[in-house]
Amino acid sequence: MTATVQPTRTAHIIHSDAEAIAVARTLAERFAVEASVRDRERRLPFAELDEFSASGLWGITIPKAYGGAGVSYVTVAEVIKIISAADSSLGQLPQNHLGVLDILLQTASEEQKRYYFAKVLQGYRFGNAFSEAGSKHAGAFETRIRFNADGARIDGEKFYCTGALFAHIVPAVAVDEENKAFIAFIERGSSGLTVIDSWDGFGQRTTASGGVTLDAVQVPLSAVIPAHRAFDEPTADGPISQIIQAAVDTGLSVGALEEAKRYARQSRPWIDSGQDHGWQDPFTIAAIGDLEWRVHGTEAILEKAGLAIDQALREPNEDTVAQASVVVAQAKVLSAESALLASSKLFELAGTRSVLGKYNLDRYWRNARTHTLHDPARWKYHLIGNFLLNGVKPARHAWN
Amino acid sequence: MNALSQATAHEKPEQSHDDLRRARELLQSTLTFVREQAKPWPGSGLARASDDPYVISRFGDLLIRIEVAAALQERAQALLAREQDVAEVGVAQAEAAIASREALLAVSNTEFELTGQRSPLPAALDEPLRWKYPLIGNYRLNGVVPPSFRSVV
Repeated sequence: MTATVQPTRTAHIIHSDAEAIAVARTLAERFAVEASVRDRERRLPFAELDEFSASGLWGITIPKAYGGAGVSYVTVAEVIKIISAADSSLGQLPQNHLGVLDILLQTASEEQKRYYFAKVLQGYRFGNAFSEAGSKHAGAFETRIRFNADGARIDGEKFYCTGALFAHIVPAVAVDEENKAFIAFIERGSSGLTVIDSWDGFGQRTTASGGVTLDAVQVPLSAVIPAHRAFDEPTADGPISQIIQAAVDTGLSVGALEEAKRYARQSRPWIDSGQDHGWQDPFTIAAIGDLEWRVHGTEAILEKAGLAIDQALREPNEDTVAQASVVVAQAKVLSAESALLASSKLFELAGTRSVLGKYNLDRYWRNARTHTLHDPARWKYHLIGNFLLNGVKPARHAWN
Repeated sequence: MNALSQATAHEKPEQSHDDLRRARELLQSTLTFVREQAKPWPGSGLARASDDPYVISRFGDLLIRIEVAAALQERAQALLAREQDVAEVGVAQAEAAIASREALLAVSNTEFELTGQRSPLPAALDEPLRWKYPLIGNYRLNGVVPPSFRSVV
């Protein structure tokens, strides 16, 4: 099964921040019902994604001038958090799509913006063919773009292509002979584009984060944007990419904590506690209290990160972008720690029966462990500390 | 809600504010010491202590703790301004109190490690942190409103 070259239905248009959050809550309730089954069977969420993008949520960051809602990044983070609490694979899937929308806004021509924003408002989904498993580090690319008389030709091999299998259009990063990065928007069905369902990670199992091969893919110049400009100049693109990652992990921590409470209510009392029920255990109660403040603290900083991004979008300069990077890094650290902690404590508080396969509660930890590997928290402590102690502004790239 | 049931009468946000203010002061004085006086660890091969990656990332950790405490205090204040439910307000204040005290203790430990000194901390015996965790947990897990938050009218 694969995505069609165009949406199966026309998307609803969302007009406000409040509507976006209300739509996310309704969708999350439905997505929660079969989240465990999808994970267990690795049943790819084609139907759910069609519903997700048809809801209009994949177009909420498009500015009002182009027909979108131009919502705050506080709202974007809240939406991703709500969906991820129900199913973190579904929460992660719009990540690159939303990142690409901002790169379009920052670097595309007026004509390209009108064209692609209109597509997205109709329900088109972008996947991604950015990362390469074989290059020296996450920011190094070997995929080449060669400009020619008909436009440009792309050759290379990609991995961690979250969303590509479900996408109508696959944006691929490729570098020219000067190592400058461009993004080519490649329509599904294009000759030379192959999307491979090879993701078998133990978490985020239904993201289909597998491979893409690009074999002499030809695109017109109108489908190429100078993506490198999003980082040559100070823009919020790095923090935007990161806040969505942090929102996925925050959602995971919220979902895991809710499950912890639900199962802790049903647990047996420990023999030494002298209580009739597990939920009366004074140490269980205190441990829930500890998780509560940590998860709430994470949510509060995620909101601050959204505000810092809004500020960097209003007034893009070295200082506002650095500030947004630093606050988003705080959200990244906290969300990674809260997601791992809550998804592990869940078993301790719910008792031994909670590890039984029929409950599939390990999906929270598997998802948290897998998704938090996207970029390491240890370098976020360093980024924040170096700005505080030495005034060093964070490097600008998609992981800061 | 009335004067007798005000969450503020039982939870003491002033204590959290003192803890956070003190945490910020100690962070600043430790930053200044590391920038101006600290010697690099000889085995690090670095010219300045402020270039030490482990010192740098430690400050990242402290700033996160302080910002969380500040954000939770703001959240508790916002709830107090609009929320009639004293238990919700009181639980939010207890969360802010934990975050503030934990931030202060983490900063104090780092001050000791990096400067060799430990500055005095605010008195805390009448606000035992250990009883704030079960207060929050019992409310969130079991819906038990702490007796001190129950309205008497």
